Amino acid sequence: MDVLIADDSEFMRSLLREILEGEYEIVDEAENGVEAIELYNEYDPDLVMMDIVMPIRDGIEATDEITDTDPNAKVIMCTSVGQEQKMKSAIQAGAEGYITKPFQKPSVLDEIENVVAG
Amino acid sequence: MQIDIDSLETYNALARDGAQSAAASLSQLTGIDTHVEVTNVSLMTPSDLEFEYVGGEFSGVRIELGDALDGETLLTFDEEARDVIAETLAPDGTERLQESSIKEVGNIMTSGFIDGWADHLETTIDISPPTFLSGSGTDVLAASAAAEDEQVFVFRSRVESAAEAIDFHILFVPERDSLIEALGPTGEESISFEKLEVFNEMTKHGAEQAAENITTMTGLETDVEVNRMSFVPIDDVPAAVGDRRYIGTVMEFTGKPSGYLVILFDHPSAEAIVDALVPMETDGNWSEMEQSAVKELGNIMTSGFIDGWANVLESSIDHSPPEFVSDMGSSIMSPIVGRMARTQEHAFLLDSMIRTDDDGTFHCEILALPDESELREVLQDLLVERADRTHVDPSEVF
Repeated sequence: MDVLIADDSEFMRSLLREILEGEYEIVDEAENGVEAIELYNEYDPDLVMMDIVMPIRDGIEATDEITDTDPNAKVIMCTSVGQEQKMKSAIQAGAEGYITKPFQKPSVLDEIENVVAG
Repeated sequence: MQIDIDSLETYNALARDGAQSAAASLSQLTGIDTHVEVTNVSLMTPSDLEFEYVGGEFSGVRIELGDALDGETLLTFDEEARDVIAETLAPDGTERLQESSIKEVGNIMTSGFIDGWADHLETTIDISPPTFLSGSGTDVLAASAAAEDEQVFVFRSRVESAAEAIDFHILFVPERDSLIEALGPTGEESISFEKLEVFNEMTKHGAEQAAENITTMTGLETDVEVNRMSFVPIDDVPAAVGDRRYIGTVMEFTGKPSGYLVILFDHPSAEAIVDALVPMETDGNWSEMEQSAVKELGNIMTSGFIDGWANVLESSIDHSPPEFVSDMGSSIMSPIVGRMARTQEHAFLLDSMIRTDDDGTFHCEILALPDESELREVLQDLLVERADRTHVDPSEVF
């Protein structure tokens, strides 16, 4: 399964890569919402791990655009934000999962499994 | 019980004038020039107050107040200041004489501090004979505050001298009911004391969440040592943070309230964090990956801190990506204060200190500066019964 990571933090991208490598294929990494949309269109990955707080364009806006273009897109928000209103906004934008940082490897893999299983 | 924030501004100014008067008395008695570094009024618990006196030996006086304003004042000198004053006033004197000199200096300075309050209230404030204090922590803690379990308002002033090692603190802890009565009639803009307490508790919960996030990410067992909400002239904020050098992050948050959140680690703590987060040799030059690790921790701590506000208020608060900073605390705060000072003269400074449980070697400070008028609105709208709804599990929403 192909996964795209979108997070402005180099540190967090490396951490996610460490967790996912071996289980999934990481197609690329985006540093902001605009790059995430571009890379999604380029690679058509099976899953996007999407941060919310990013420069240029945030993760909720990027998710909205990706799911508008591809209603079958699967996006998991992977964020430090634990606000109920943001979670609802993420659902409205089309996200199917939500992981709050800091996370442990099992919770990331469990959430991916849940979302992929539909 | 309602509090008029505008009155707090007046009383803060009175405390500052009082501290200046006390500093002038000290100069007159000893010939040492001093200046008031910072004055603010804080809402805190007695245990947070105790922290003021941890980590050093202090000498000074406690004076109880009565009549128009009940409470007590503590004027304390650190060890160096005590020695300088005692040597100046009673050179070659016995220990008893030197103690007496400190007691009398404290008495005169406290009287100067209190006089302005009495004049403002157009009444008299009785003061007790001074009690000599010596020690640290609870040895010099305000007696009335130590006996209570509720949050208290504390007026704090720090006075320093550029030439001599003079550094003293004046704490004025009025009894709550007495202060509120003295604050006078409240207008429509007043805020209930309960809401201030609840918001302070929410902030403490946010700081605890931030501490938990540090522990989860780094394995360092941390806890919130101090949590206080201060009302301070905006220009005093850099001095309140001090000149210690820090590594940290600055974030702007938008929504209601908007403002800034600054997370500061002292250098050994920042290095401990990077050692725990970045599994490679580091050279102490703050490479991009090291900065990224600090920024990500700041990002996660910020969310832990402000998400509770948003959830209780049923609103959304966004924050910018973190900016990495490495400088003196006052220099980090100055540009933020410069921006905020365009629209406000006073600020609510929410200050939480996180330390390691065991040896206290880890030191992190979280400083939130919400827009003052927006925070007033937030406090007006705050539903006390929702105060425990700080955390939302995504699985409840998804």
